[in-house]
Amino acid sequence: MTPPLTVKIETVYSRSPPPRKPLHLTPADAVLLALAFTCVGYVGWRTHTVLDYRWDWSSIWPFLLKRDPVTGELQPNLIITGLLTTLRLAVLGMIVSGLIGIVIGMARTSRRLLLRLIGSAYVMLIRNIPPVVFVFIFYFFIASQIMPALGLSERVRDAGPLIRWLLSVLVGDLKLIENFVIGLLCLSVFNGAYVAEIVRAGIQSVSRHQIEAGDSLGLSRGDVLRFVVFPQATRNMLPALASQFIQLIKDSSLVSLVSIQELSFMAQDVQVSTQRVFEVLIFVAGIYFLLCFSLSRLFEWLERRAALAYR
Amino acid sequence: MRVLTRLFGFMLLAASVLLASAPANAQGNMLETIKKRGKLQVGYGSFVPWALRDKQGNWIGFEIDVTTKLAKDMGVDVELMPTAWDGIIPSLLAGKFDAIFGMTVTEPRKEQVDFTAPYSQSGVGVAASKQLAAGLQWPEGYNDAKVTFACRRGIAACKAIEERWPKATLRQFDDDAIAFQEVINANAHAVMSSEPKPTFFTLQNPEKLFRPTTDYVTTGVEGFAIRKGNPEAIAYFNDWIGKNKDWLKERHTYWFKTRDWADKAAAN
Repeated sequence: MTPPLTVKIETVYSRSPPPRKPLHLTPADAVLLALAFTCVGYVGWRTHTVLDYRWDWSSIWPFLLKRDPVTGELQPNLIITGLLTTLRLAVLGMIVSGLIGIVIGMARTSRRLLLRLIGSAYVMLIRNIPPVVFVFIFYFFIASQIMPALGLSERVRDAGPLIRWLLSVLVGDLKLIENFVIGLLCLSVFNGAYVAEIVRAGIQSVSRHQIEAGDSLGLSRGDVLRFVVFPQATRNMLPALASQFIQLIKDSSLVSLVSIQELSFMAQDVQVSTQRVFEVLIFVAGIYFLLCFSLSRLFEWLERRAALAYR
Repeated sequence: MRVLTRLFGFMLLAASVLLASAPANAQGNMLETIKKRGKLQVGYGSFVPWALRDKQGNWIGFEIDVTTKLAKDMGVDVELMPTAWDGIIPSLLAGKFDAIFGMTVTEPRKEQVDFTAPYSQSGVGVAASKQLAAGLQWPEGYNDAKVTFACRRGIAACKAIEERWPKATLRQFDDDAIAFQEVINANAHAVMSSEPKPTFFTLQNPEKLFRPTTDYVTTGVEGFAIRKGNPEAIAYFNDWIGKNKDWLKERHTYWFKTRDWADKAAAN
């Protein structure tokens, strides 16, 4: 618990952030770029001429926002509602699967056999079945056992206004809370297994000597984890975590298979109702791209910061 | 690490307590369960004109009209539960909702669920590509390994194609609109779907599509599907369907034979 110790450890094992390379365009690069653009243009032109499709983007816009017929207020319509659900699934999913990952990852590196077995069983079971199959199994066999036992809908109905308000910020429409929670659990349990492996790799990337050094300084087991292992492990985990969380956002579209009303599910409804298949697909792909791209940038920034902190 | 062992132990305990205290899957009298809950929970898939979204994002359609009126007559609210069509029967069996509305009665489905008396009739129609299928003789000419059919996965029309044109290739899509698009693009010879879709698509794409026949390829009837072992619910629903025959007919005509609802709907 004595802070000066940690400062010493950090200064001894310092790493400087990788310098950013300046942008430099050579003629070869320019040729390659031109080729790439030509390819994209050609595909676009082929699509335009071969695919006999009357593009009509105007059907989509009404599904972003709508005007309440009574009050005249602007309200989110299907696509934005779905996007908000996807965002909530993503943020809460990262938190929950992060927690699962830390617990299971620690169990995987534990000195106790029982914990290691539990951790391995969890990871091996989930990592080795296809996500789609997992979603169905979870929905029909596991969630249908847990959800009636929790009695969420009844509890929410009886809850006070403050709790209801908090919940509505967290999960959106309270009438769909069970629907949302099933989706969130499914996604988190599934992603937690992958995060656990990242956490395990992160913990094991810290040299044994560091832990022994911590031990010999008289730090308790918890303090070794907290001041020696985790600060270094976290930094090593960041790039892999970024990929995994991006994967989580994209995987959130899988739970539309079991009727969780997120972006993909709503998009399907809009597709059927408007009969504009490609427009809706492309638009939704754009939204997912923006989400994932922003998250990539956020993690890049975090990586730079983490590197700076240890200079 | 002892903390972790305890955590797992606690979670196991909590899970077993939860499961032990879970109410046995509500069997009993289905009608009473609905009345006690005060809500009729209905599962359905989006399918024009059975159930579709209007421009405000609200559900409209034949099925929605029927559901709303039935719930009102039962004195309960209706809870609409849009469900992916692929998993709709397992969802019903798992107790996610009380009934599936507007499901075509088929033998394989009858083995899993009970149907009420039919309250609607539908027919599967066909539309074909002018470029590929103009010279083909209907229907024998289509029973050829070179011919490709398209349909939406899981609907009764797919089965009909497999049975009547066994030599043809069948390609199944998640969505009707994509199946029709394949034929418009001349990637498939013909597409089948419940009327009025083939009619409307052909009207919208007169230079690409034509109708080899305006007869129904197969006809079907639709009823409500509920979990097996609820004879009193079946009797109640059948009674309701009998009493509302004229109203049902009028609504069916409105949604399937007219396009009066087109400006409300988002499709154009």
